[in-house]
Amino acid sequence: MSRPTDVVQGTLDLLILKMLALRPMNGWDISQRLKQHSNDVLRVSDGSLYPALHKLEQEGWIEAEWRLSDNNRRAKFYTLTRPGRRQLDQERESWTRLSNAISMVVRLKEA
Amino acid sequence: MRIERWLYTLPLRLRSLFQRGKVEQELRDELRDHLERQIAANESAGMSPADARTVALRDFGGIERRKDEVRETRGVNLVEQLMRDMAYAARGLRRAPGFTLAVVGTLALGVGANAAMFGIVDRLLFRPPAFLREPGHVHRLYEAFTADRTGATRVNLSYARYRDLAQRSPGSLTVAAFSVMHIAVGDGDAARELPVMAASASYFDLYDAAPALGRYFTSAEDSVPAGAPVAVLGYGYWQSQYGGRRDVIGQRVRVNQTLCTIIGVAPDHFAGVEAGEAPVLYWPLTTRAADARPGAFAANYGWRWPEVLVMRHAGISEATATTELTAALRVSWLTQASANPRNSLAIGAAKPHALLGPVHLQAGPLAGPETRVVTWVTGVAAIVLLIACANVANLLLVRAVSRRREIAMRLALGASRGRLIRQLLTESLLLAALGGIAGVVLAQWGGGAIRALFIRGDFNSPTVADGRTLVVASVATLVAAVLTGLAPAMQALKPDLAHSLRTGARQAGAERSRLRPALLLFQTTLSVVLLIGAGLFVRSLLNVRGMPLGYDIDPLMVITDNTRGVKTSGAELASLEARLAQVATTTPGVVAATPAASVPFWGFDDSPVFVPGIDSLSELGTFGRQAGNADYFRTLGTRIVRGRGFDAHDDAHAPRVAVVSQGMARALWPGQDALGKCIRLDADTMPCTSVVGVAQDVRVRSLKNQREYLYYVPIAQYGDATGMLFVRSSGDASSSVETVRRALQGVMPGNSYVTARPFSAIVDPVMASWRLGATMFVTFGMLALTLAAVGLYSVIAYGVAQRRQEFGVRIALGAGIADVLQLVVGEGVKLGLAGVTLGIVIAIAGGRWIAPLLFDEAPRDMLVFSAVAAALMVAAFCASLFPALRATRVDPVQSLRAD
Repeated sequence: MSRPTDVVQGTLDLLILKMLALRPMNGWDISQRLKQHSNDVLRVSDGSLYPALHKLEQEGWIEAEWRLSDNNRRAKFYTLTRPGRRQLDQERESWTRLSNAISMVVRLKEA
Repeated sequence: MRIERWLYTLPLRLRSLFQRGKVEQELRDELRDHLERQIAANESAGMSPADARTVALRDFGGIERRKDEVRETRGVNLVEQLMRDMAYAARGLRRAPGFTLAVVGTLALGVGANAAMFGIVDRLLFRPPAFLREPGHVHRLYEAFTADRTGATRVNLSYARYRDLAQRSPGSLTVAAFSVMHIAVGDGDAARELPVMAASASYFDLYDAAPALGRYFTSAEDSVPAGAPVAVLGYGYWQSQYGGRRDVIGQRVRVNQTLCTIIGVAPDHFAGVEAGEAPVLYWPLTTRAADARPGAFAANYGWRWPEVLVMRHAGISEATATTELTAALRVSWLTQASANPRNSLAIGAAKPHALLGPVHLQAGPLAGPETRVVTWVTGVAAIVLLIACANVANLLLVRAVSRRREIAMRLALGASRGRLIRQLLTESLLLAALGGIAGVVLAQWGGGAIRALFIRGDFNSPTVADGRTLVVASVATLVAAVLTGLAPAMQALKPDLAHSLRTGARQAGAERSRLRPALLLFQTTLSVVLLIGAGLFVRSLLNVRGMPLGYDIDPLMVITDNTRGVKTSGAELASLEARLAQVATTTPGVVAATPAASVPFWGFDDSPVFVPGIDSLSELGTFGRQAGNADYFRTLGTRIVRGRGFDAHDDAHAPRVAVVSQGMARALWPGQDALGKCIRLDADTMPCTSVVGVAQDVRVRSLKNQREYLYYVPIAQYGDATGMLFVRSSGDASSSVETVRRALQGVMPGNSYVTARPFSAIVDPVMASWRLGATMFVTFGMLALTLAAVGLYSVIAYGVAQRRQEFGVRIALGAGIADVLQLVVGEGVKLGLAGVTLGIVIAIAGGRWIAPLLFDEAPRDMLVFSAVAAALMVAAFCASLFPALRATRVDPVQSLRAD
């Protein structure tokens, strides 16, 4: 039985920032969206999502606000801040560089 | 971090610190919301409600763990944890008040002892004097030279020497001179001898201390041939004698003979460079010189009194300054030699050179034995702290062991080890902090008493008022915290969880750590060493005290009369002194009185003596002359062992007579009767003075020199006034000093006055270092012994509590009381023996270091060793006896059923 692929270490921040760049969301939304958009490949363990969210909040990259959600319950919504947007750009850039590099190595022809 | 981000993060940090409840509530809500949605999603996917919940929880991975991870992300977590740990530790300590009290008390003693001793050492050796402009650039100047092929170092130079140095040294050096003496201030009956500082005008340039009022004196006012009659008051004296009034400027005050105009007031806490009493008044060096010796003092190289300070300005190194000053010093020696060729050492052989030392006299080359004792005692205080730490570490260990089950439980529940250790360390930190505070209070309270022993007349600063002592106390506290917390923390790292949970506290008995006996042995050994030190010093003090000085001390007082300015001839003065003796005798409580030419330890004049038939008298020893009236020997309590003392017939016209000391008689006429022998005083052409009596030996200059001889002549034949009297009271002299002073003051004409002081005030300082050593070593030694005994007791008592079951079994199997006693007491005694052995080995090895501080006492005194060994064994025996008795009372049935 194959376990859901764990998010590559250190990219969870990037994923969360990217999700929130689309629109403000609460934790539940983020976890569902991640599954959806990655065709269920990226399954962030629900438990590890919240520490990551709080870390980003403490860093000042996202901010939180209590609002009514679609099911009419109070939920904590996270929004990207301006420093967060800059951070997203930075992380996206370094991710692109990293994945390009890895692809290039992986595609090397074997002798 | 960019400022913009602070906008977002700062409110968060503050919230998590101060609105913790709310933040936690939100976290709970957020996570619950997520879980509920997941459960709902699972249910709609077809799971049963129970399964939906279980799966959701499992996927989430432990709510509490996640919460903790979230908490970790808050930057303030550490602070928060610390606060929580503190609260937790405080709660734990409140639950064990006996334990807490023992630990805090022990640490307080250790920290207090160190804070108090540091306060003293700091004052004596390290702390720069208040207001000193550049403490690192100010030095005390010593004059070093060679005389009789041995090196000599002087700190008191002559005014002439100081003037040469000041004039010939480069402008990059400020040379200043000062001298503090007890000099009469005030007129007539109000006159008191008080500490007065004579200072060069340049002296005040060393300080950054604006006068509280008026000004200091200028170099024009401090000049040869006689300085200006001006004075600057000390702040304390201004407050106490003048009520701090601002109109003191321009008022007159008599200092010795000179009527001085007050021109200023020094600022509060200004006291010059020495620890000790602050001067009440400052006056120019030259004014004081002219007052004491009018005339050509500026060319007198033999009258050495002021001490010299040197301040280096920017850009001149200590080495260069020393070279420059040595050059100036050599020129000064040449000047001296050309002015006084007969009485000067040859510069070629003497090789005079300047020596720059620390500002503090006690830190320099001429430090007295007290300084060494102080250093030793400071080391001893550190040892006491170590012992205290060992003790506390032991108590904490015992406590940690009894908390094994609790610790194991918390580890099992998922607390990280780091977190647990942090908590244990927090506990010892809290304990140490409490101990430190109590220690500072203790030092404040007891330190003053200790300091009074070391620094005479130092009233002007409380022990721990300054930051430096507080810093030392805090460092000591921190060291204590780490030392004491480490052991239990290390032990907490070890426990085998399941094992500890199952066996509980009882288990500790079987695998008792080796750490505790080691700590116990450590403290026992150190206390043995300290007690041996104490014993050696006490014996030294007893030796000093018990040494026959040849006169009494306690019933005697010393009167000095000072005529200041009242012109009298020597003969008039001598008859005034005779009258003073007479008046003293009629004062209530006085038994006898006599004028005296010298006072022991104040210096004796070495007038030459010539004895027919002996060429080189000086090779036999030093001969001091004393003069007294018919009551002299009765007043001093010096026994006449042969012949007679003086009587009323020995007046100026009677045949010249003398009494010699036993040692002198033996040295001059070995094997012969001294009575009737002839000695010639002052010159070998003088007529014979015949020896009419032999008195017991006396010590007058040093306690150790056996070749110190004294001879006595009747005051009427001495031919001069002496300026001093001895008065013997019926009780302790210190209680009648003021009565006698008042009675005698009534006889004094004009501005003249008398001072009276108990003789013990003169003799005591001579014995100070041994008394200090004895007092401090005994105090700290007893402290150490008490700590060691308490430590032994607590550990053995604890061991007994741990082994209740074992004792129960033993008793059930038929062990008698004696067997159990032997088992427990044997353990304590064994430890005691090991400590005694180790301690004695260390004491023997270290003995030679302390030998120079002892008096007539071998550092390997068997009596001391055996007394200490006995004391320690008794302490060890008692400390283990009580727990042992408890062990015998163990009820086998009950103890087997428990746990």
